Amino acid sequence: MQVFLQTLIGGVTFGAVYALVAMGFSIVYRTMGLVNFAHGSVVMIGAYAASTFYLATQLPFAVAIVVAIAVTGLIGLVIERFLRPLENKDFTLMLIGTIGFGAVLEAGAVLVWGATGHAVPSPVATGPIDVAGIRIPTYSLLVIAVAAAATGLLALFLQRTKLGAAMQAVAMDHQAATAVGIHVGRSNAMAFAIGAGLAALAGSLIGPMLYVNPTMGGTLGIKGFAAAMLGGFGSMPGAIVGGLAFGLLDSFAAGNFQEYSELVTFLVFALIVMIRPTGVFGEATVNRA
Amino acid sequence: MHFTRFSIAAAALLALAACAPPGQTGGSESNTTGPIKIANVNAQSGQLSSLGQWEHKGVKLAVDEANKAGGVNGRQIQLDLFDSQGDPTIGTNVARKIAAEGYLAMLGTAESAVTLAMAPILKDAKIPNITSGQSPKLAELKSPFLFLNAPTSVTFDETLAKYLIDDKGMKKIALISNNGAYGAGEHDAFLASLKTRNVTPSADEIVTPDQKDFNSNLAKIREQSPEVLFIGAEEVQSGLIAKQARELGIKAVLAGGAPVGTDVYATTAGLDNAEGTVVSSPYLSNEASEPIKAFAAKYKAAYNEEARMHVAKAYDGASILIEALKQTQGEGGQKLADAIRGVKRAGLLGDYTYDANGVGIHETKIGLVKDGKVVPEAAS
Repeated sequence: MQVFLQTLIGGVTFGAVYALVAMGFSIVYRTMGLVNFAHGSVVMIGAYAASTFYLATQLPFAVAIVVAIAVTGLIGLVIERFLRPLENKDFTLMLIGTIGFGAVLEAGAVLVWGATGHAVPSPVATGPIDVAGIRIPTYSLLVIAVAAAATGLLALFLQRTKLGAAMQAVAMDHQAATAVGIHVGRSNAMAFAIGAGLAALAGSLIGPMLYVNPTMGGTLGIKGFAAAMLGGFGSMPGAIVGGLAFGLLDSFAAGNFQEYSELVTFLVFALIVMIRPTGVFGEATVNRA
Repeated sequence: MHFTRFSIAAAALLALAACAPPGQTGGSESNTTGPIKIANVNAQSGQLSSLGQWEHKGVKLAVDEANKAGGVNGRQIQLDLFDSQGDPTIGTNVARKIAAEGYLAMLGTAESAVTLAMAPILKDAKIPNITSGQSPKLAELKSPFLFLNAPTSVTFDETLAKYLIDDKGMKKIALISNNGAYGAGEHDAFLASLKTRNVTPSADEIVTPDQKDFNSNLAKIREQSPEVLFIGAEEVQSGLIAKQARELGIKAVLAGGAPVGTDVYATTAGLDNAEGTVVSSPYLSNEASEPIKAFAAKYKAAYNEEARMHVAKAYDGASILIEALKQTQGEGGQKLADAIRGVKRAGLLGDYTYDANGVGIHETKIGLVKDGKVVPEAAS
C-alpha cells in the first residue's frame, strides 16, 4: 500500500508538469490546428531562464518564474510572427518551421549557457511531509498547487474575458470569427504566447526536480505531446487529464516493469489511442489550416 | 586503342576504389611528414556533454604540452575534435569519417555505448582507440585496437564491495541501476562481487536511462530498509536517485562508482543528500599525491577550473598515446597498438600496465563525499 501511494505521489507531481506542457501544445493546436514541435525546446528555455535568474539574483523563485514566462512568451510571439505568412497557405511548412525553431532554440541555449547544464537547488527549504510513512516532498505540493492555479486562471481567461472568447471563436471557426471582426493573427499570436508561457511555467517548476540542460526539452516535449494526445489534442480538460494519466502510467510502469517501463508506457498509450483516436475529450475531426 | 582500353580499366579501378567503404582506405596511409592526425571524439552537446568537454580539455592539455616540447620526432600533433553527442549512431558515422580521413589514433569517448558501437569500425581500419569508457563489455571485445584509460566497472565495484561488506560488515544491500551500457555494466559487476561474498541483494531495481521519477522503485527499496543503496547510473541520474531516496526517507549509505564522485552528482542530489556517499574511484581528489597536485595546478592555470577524474584520465590516455607514437616514430596501425600495449606509465589514475583485453589500471580507491567533494576514506 505504501509503495502504491508513494508511486501515486511521484506520478501526480510529474503528471502536473506534463499537464502544463500538454496544455501549451493544446492551446496552440485548438487555435491554429498546428502542432508546435518547438514546444519542448521552449520548456527548456523556460527552465534555463527561471533557474539562471533565480541563481543569479537570489530573488524569490516566483519572480524568476514570472521573468521566464515573459521571456518565453516573447519567443512564442516571435515564432508566430515568423509563421504568420504561411497561415492558411502551407501547413506542412509551418510544421517544419516549428521543428526548425526547436533546433534553433536548442543551439541557442548551448551558445548562451553552454552544453553542460546546471542543477537548481530546491526553492523550498522545508523537508518532505510524512503522512503515515508516505513522504510528500513540499516542493511537489508547490508544483501541483501552481499547476492547478495556472489551469484555473487559464480557464477563467478563456471563458470570462473578451480576448479569451475571441480565441475560442477562432478555435471553433476561424472564417466566421474573421467575419465578425476578430483579428485571427492576433488571436494566434496570443495562443503562441500563452502556450510558451505555460511551457515556461512547466520548465521553471521542473528545473529544481531535474537537471537543467539544453536537451531536457526532448523527453518533456514527447511526454507532454503524448499526454495531450491521450486527453484529446486541443482540449484543455483533456490536457490536464492526459498529463496526470501519463504521469501515473509512467510512474506505475517504472515500479512494475522495471527496464521495460518505457516500452509498456508507450504500448499502453498506443493501445488507448488506437481504441480512442481522439483521446478522452477530443473532438472527432479537426480540420484547420 | 590500347590506350583507350587502359584508360577504361584505370577508370573502372578508380571507381571501384572510390566505392570501397570508408575506413578501408585509411589504414594503409602512411604519411611520414606533416602533422600527426589524432581524433578526439566526445559528446560536446547533449546530456553527457559535461563529460565530453572535460575529456577534451584533458586531451588538449597533454597534446599542447607535447607539441610545445617539439612534438613527435619533430612532427606536430594535430588534434581534431568530433562531437559524438553521446549517441552510438553518430559515433559510428564519426568512426567512418576518421577512418576515411587518415587519422592515426582516436581518443575518447567517455560513453561506453558509443565506444562499443565504434570499436568494430576502428578495429577494421586498424586505428588504435584509447577510450574513457569503463564498461566490462569493452574489455570483453578483446579488440587489439581498443584500450581503456580507466579500470572497468569490475574493478570499481569489487573495491566497493570489499569496503562495504568485508571492511564495514554491511550485508543488507539494495541496488538501483539503469539498463544503459554503463548502468548495466555496473549492475552486473557489483552483483558478481556480491555473489562471491554470498550476499543476496535485498532489492534490485532496474530503471531506464531516461527515467526521472524513481518514487516507485525507491518505495520498494525503502520497504527493505537496506544499509547500503548502490547506484549504477550516470552523474545526473545518480544525483536524482540520491535526492529522491533521501526525500523518501531512505537512510542507507549511498554508494557508487566514479559518477557519484562528481560535482554534477553532488549538486543534482543537493549537498546534504550527497553527504557521506561512498565513491570507488582511481582518482579521489586533486590533493591525493604530488604529481596530481602539480597536474591540478597546471590544469587550473590553463582552463581556470578545478581538475577532476575525467580530465585526469583523458590526460593519462593522451600521454600514453603520445609516448607510443614517439616509439613508432609517428607510425600508426598495428605497430602503434602494440606500442600502446607496451607503455608502462605511472599516471594520475595509477600505474598503467596493459593486459590482453586493453585494461591498463587494475585498482581503485575508496573516498567519501564531504560538502560535495570527495575525500580519501582514510583521511575522513
